[in-house]
Amino acid sequence: MNVSQDLSILHLILNASAVVQAVMLMLASVSFMSWYYIFRKWFTVREAKTQTEQFERDFWSGGDLNSLYQSAVNNRHGTGSMERIFEAGFREFAKLRSQKNLDPKDVVDGSRRAMRATYQREVDSIDSHLAFLASVGSVSPYVGLFGTVWGIMHSFRGLSNVGQATLSAVAPGIAEALVATAIGLFAAIPAVLAYNRFSHDIDRLATRFESFMEEFSNILQRQMR
Amino acid sequence: MNDLSPLTPEEKPSTAALVLSAAVHLLLVGALFLGVQWKSQAPSSVAVEVWRSAPAPVAVAKPEPVPEPPPKPEPKPEPKPVPKVEPTPPVKPDIAIKDEKKKKEEPKKPEPKKEESKKPEPKKEEPKKEEPKKPEPKREVSDFQKQLEQELKDAQRQKAAAQEARDQHARADAELRQLGQMRAEQAALGRSRALADYTAKIAQKIRGYIVLPNNIQGNPEAIFDVTQLPSGEVLSVKIRKSSGNRALDEAIERAILKSSPLPKPDDPKLFERELKIPYRPKDE
Repeated sequence: MNVSQDLSILHLILNASAVVQAVMLMLASVSFMSWYYIFRKWFTVREAKTQTEQFERDFWSGGDLNSLYQSAVNNRHGTGSMERIFEAGFREFAKLRSQKNLDPKDVVDGSRRAMRATYQREVDSIDSHLAFLASVGSVSPYVGLFGTVWGIMHSFRGLSNVGQATLSAVAPGIAEALVATAIGLFAAIPAVLAYNRFSHDIDRLATRFESFMEEFSNILQRQMR
Repeated sequence: MNDLSPLTPEEKPSTAALVLSAAVHLLLVGALFLGVQWKSQAPSSVAVEVWRSAPAPVAVAKPEPVPEPPPKPEPKPEPKPVPKVEPTPPVKPDIAIKDEKKKKEEPKKPEPKKEESKKPEPKKEEPKKEEPKKPEPKREVSDFQKQLEQELKDAQRQKAAAQEARDQHARADAELRQLGQMRAEQAALGRSRALADYTAKIAQKIRGYIVLPNNIQGNPEAIFDVTQLPSGEVLSVKIRKSSGNRALDEAIERAILKSSPLPKPDDPKLFERELKIPYRPKDE
């Protein structure tokens, strides 16, 4: 009875050795950060998806490219990634077309380059902080394991001072130490899941952007004639 | 409307994400607290009576039919039912009989006094009239005595009847109470019977392994706390209360360890990780 009462989670954390406590604190803050980024990424990716769908619907509904461009320029802060790609490509196209001595192919190539630059910037922006999730997912179990090993070492060293080795002499120390692994896993599992999920979503978004760029280039090329 | 397309707007630091992240951690901490506290409150122990419990000898009778059981079962049923069944009913009759005796004794004392007191009366009358007065006082005395006796008898009967009524009431009340208890017990009987089976099984197994040391004095009781795994394997045996005899303590501990894995209950819900096993070397 007494033993199990002592094993409340608060006791375990408060009685742990300094190194283990430091590890637990670090893991807790890392876990907090990773959850913060998980939610932030989740909002970002969801927003990017809806904006892309909205723009694709507008674009393929057969509206005038000029009016689309105007609305994109006027509403710069509310535009999505794909709209910004379109805007950059169309602006470059409009500029190059006014120069009369250029080959149509060069005009399309120029606008495509502008689109690619914007595309890379956009994808990079959506991708940001995913690396943090990835490293949390891969490293925090090891950090937790380090805390656990340290705690177990500690408790076994304590055991050497006791004449008779009983389970109850080691158990609290091991339980304390295992809390570190638990926190590490708690930080790592959602981070890995979120990383996989978000990188998959972002890959799909990037594919959509790329195929849009190709299709838009074709449209621009047709406009040149 | 710059010519250069602006840098893509960095994600704004989102307070919603911060709040949600905090919420997730609070949830986890809450779950951990609740989960761990539930476990810490849970441990309750089943007490297994090794030697004293009735089911054990019955169960043991099967493996050792020839040498010991015949003497053992015979004395047990005899002394137990005899004192249990008879003492309670006889006690009341005894009291009743004693009361009646007292009442009989009491009336006997006044009788001679009355006779004596009535004799002087006739004696006083005797000198005046000899013949007619002799039967009269006798009749008076006899009538008086008869009346007195009748009254006394009536009183005795009434008292006896009242006592019988009281006894009956008491018996009826006791029976009612017993019935109520029985019903209350029967509600828990399924569980308690299964539990009894379980403890009997454990007791029987441990009993089979005990090698008693020779130098036992008296009938000291030792209490052991046993922790077992769900598979029944004994994890640890601790002495809660020593019997005072070290050899005996060790013998019991060895027996408990030897009887690992302990038998499992028929109903897995009855399983307890911690068992309290009291032990007495001799059956009472």
